[in-house]
Amino acid sequence: MLLDRKIAFIDLTTEKVRVKPIPIALRREFLGGRGINIHLLSRHYTPSLDPFSPDNPLIFGAGLLTGCLSFGSRITITAKSPESGHLGDSNMGGDFGAELIKAGFSHVVISGKSPNPVYIVIQDNQIEVRDAKKLTGLDTLETQKKLRAALKDDKVQIACIGPAGENLVRFAAIRSGMKSAAGRTGMGAVMGSKNVKALAVRGTRDIKLSDPKKYLPYYLATMKSLAGTKWAQALGKYGTPLLFSRANALGILSIRNNQSTSVGDQGYRLAAEALEPYSNGMLACFSCPVHCRHRFVIEKGQYQGTRGEGPEYGSIGSLGSKLGNLDLENSMYAIELCNRYGLDTISTGSYIAWAMELYQRGIIDQEVTKRPLVWGDRETITDVIHQIAYRKDFGNILAEGHFAQKVFGAASRDYLMEIKNFPIEMTDERLPKSFALGMATASRGACHMRSRASIDVLGLPEEVLKKLYGGPVSNDLASYAGKGRMVWWHEVLNAVSDSLGICRFLTVFSSPHALQYREFSRLITLATGLDLSPKALKQIGERICALEKMTLVKDGISREHDTLPKRYFDEPIPEGPARGAFISRNEFAHMLDDYYRLHGWNKNGVPKKNTLKRLGLEA
Amino acid sequence: MKITVNRKRCSGCHLCELVCSLFHGGSVNPEKSAIRIKKDDLTTSMNMPILCRQCKEMKCLPGKKAEGEREKKKFIWDKSRAERCPFGALPVFGNKAYHCDLCQGRPQCVKVCTTQAISVR
Repeated sequence: MLLDRKIAFIDLTTEKVRVKPIPIALRREFLGGRGINIHLLSRHYTPSLDPFSPDNPLIFGAGLLTGCLSFGSRITITAKSPESGHLGDSNMGGDFGAELIKAGFSHVVISGKSPNPVYIVIQDNQIEVRDAKKLTGLDTLETQKKLRAALKDDKVQIACIGPAGENLVRFAAIRSGMKSAAGRTGMGAVMGSKNVKALAVRGTRDIKLSDPKKYLPYYLATMKSLAGTKWAQALGKYGTPLLFSRANALGILSIRNNQSTSVGDQGYRLAAEALEPYSNGMLACFSCPVHCRHRFVIEKGQYQGTRGEGPEYGSIGSLGSKLGNLDLENSMYAIELCNRYGLDTISTGSYIAWAMELYQRGIIDQEVTKRPLVWGDRETITDVIHQIAYRKDFGNILAEGHFAQKVFGAASRDYLMEIKNFPIEMTDERLPKSFALGMATASRGACHMRSRASIDVLGLPEEVLKKLYGGPVSNDLASYAGKGRMVWWHEVLNAVSDSLGICRFLTVFSSPHALQYREFSRLITLATGLDLSPKALKQIGERICALEKMTLVKDGISREHDTLPKRYFDEPIPEGPARGAFISRNEFAHMLDDYYRLHGWNKNGVPKKNTLKRLGLEA
Repeated sequence: MKITVNRKRCSGCHLCELVCSLFHGGSVNPEKSAIRIKKDDLTTSMNMPILCRQCKEMKCLPGKKAEGEREKKKFIWDKSRAERCPFGALPVFGNKAYHCDLCQGRPQCVKVCTTQAISVR
């Protein structure tokens, strides 16, 4: 049974491991993955908790359906974030989450701090902490190769940190395989602070299903209908880079730190088609029928021998167009550097973009940077990535993320495109109002994965939207009307899919025909026997959102923090297809009111007492 | 009937292993599947589906020819037979080998292979 997967509490200070079953009642309230993670974190979370202190728990949580015949098999990693100082979590695909389930665990909570570097081996119900001296300093790929050799098993799945995590770079990632990353919010730095280099997992246990005879045909029918959608077909052929051309045509990219939002007819240089010559087939995460990752290699030129999986639109955008860099090969190389060092590609690109604009404006100079920081300069980009990972020279300042303001001065603040101390990604949200509201309200700071209604760009008939969202929603991307509802709806759905381990791309994100509550409910019932109706699942989503929000409320986060960078309000987009677009403070406030109302939160964005009561979250 | 493999197309999703184990054993467990995806996932990212090739001359079965027809329909074999397979195509877990019985003529793995890395010939 998936429900018999256990939770392991590993205390590195006392060297004690406790294994406990997960109560069914907790599953019914939070499912697994992101849901159970926030339940666990919220019990330890205080405003004064130092993200680098041994008391900050690092929580690995596989989704409830992870490892099963499902739609992706994802895991969420949660802790207080050293990057933002608030709630941190990051969701990773690949094979690691499934292997953890196969080994008998769905959650692992690591607390305390080891005096020496260690790695944790989890094999079929057994947990052992071992010395990692020989792995220290290795990059994320070498670490995995060495560990597999040491454990004499090439099926071992590993989640590890690279030099960036060891050096406590505040936006260090946890990595698995060639490509998978729990990139955002600095979970790799938390792992580094505990002296944990890696988790190595191998499992061979059965997953017994509640109703296997019905599950298989239901899965096959659902999978067939999903895989046949236009969105899944396109994603399976081009991967997420297909989104680049669309974003460029709409004018919703971040170019040179959001000073512009489209590269016009130069967009072809980073488009999905430009990636084709390097691609040699498509790859998938565990249990995913869509296969959205390229297998790529650069065979000649300066970056000859660079190989990997992906690359994603988010990374190409962050280390390419955001930095005024339209050299695809350089972006691919820069992405792989980040992957090897264990850096989040999105934050890395965002902080470099910030520094480049500060340099452009003379707010910082070579006295601080030790080199010119020129837009699109390829060597600068790759050199600075190296410096960040090893905290060398200027990289040591940028490794602090938004805290670098202390060095850059007060004038630097407005040029960091951030929300709740967490940088905005590869896009600009001044045109699409639903995207803007989603960014402003995401519980881990600026994040498109919490609630982005990618579907909004399709301009679907409004009767279709009304049926989907249960109320009127404009089909105009630039309109504010109904977008509070749209964001609320997606945010709640995503909280559920993240707790099931189902990939965002297979749910209602870019296609109205993809999976949502009805399918989730059936899959859960047939797989686990838990009778959770679509309505009950929606309430679980609301509960997770409210609990995450309450965590932020503890930090003093309120309405004024659910906002956007000054530039979004005060500087209309100067050129390109979205020229003139900006966010009206007044309209934004109405949208935010709507969003709070639907959540049952008050005008300050604090969950109301009766909402907490309804969701069973009273103190 | 046999299942053919186009290695380059394999996405490494493991869905074939999952449905194989579920269809035959009632549980999901890639270890108990007659098809196995061998991954070179830290170097070349190439994947290799491995399963019984339905050889005419079954080197896995010593003895009388008649036995072959009967054994072909069985999913769980003794581990010793895997050792005789010249292609190493029979996955082993514990003391059992897992043999592709072609799901009584309707291979389930092929149904979930969205890249057509495996197909029926």
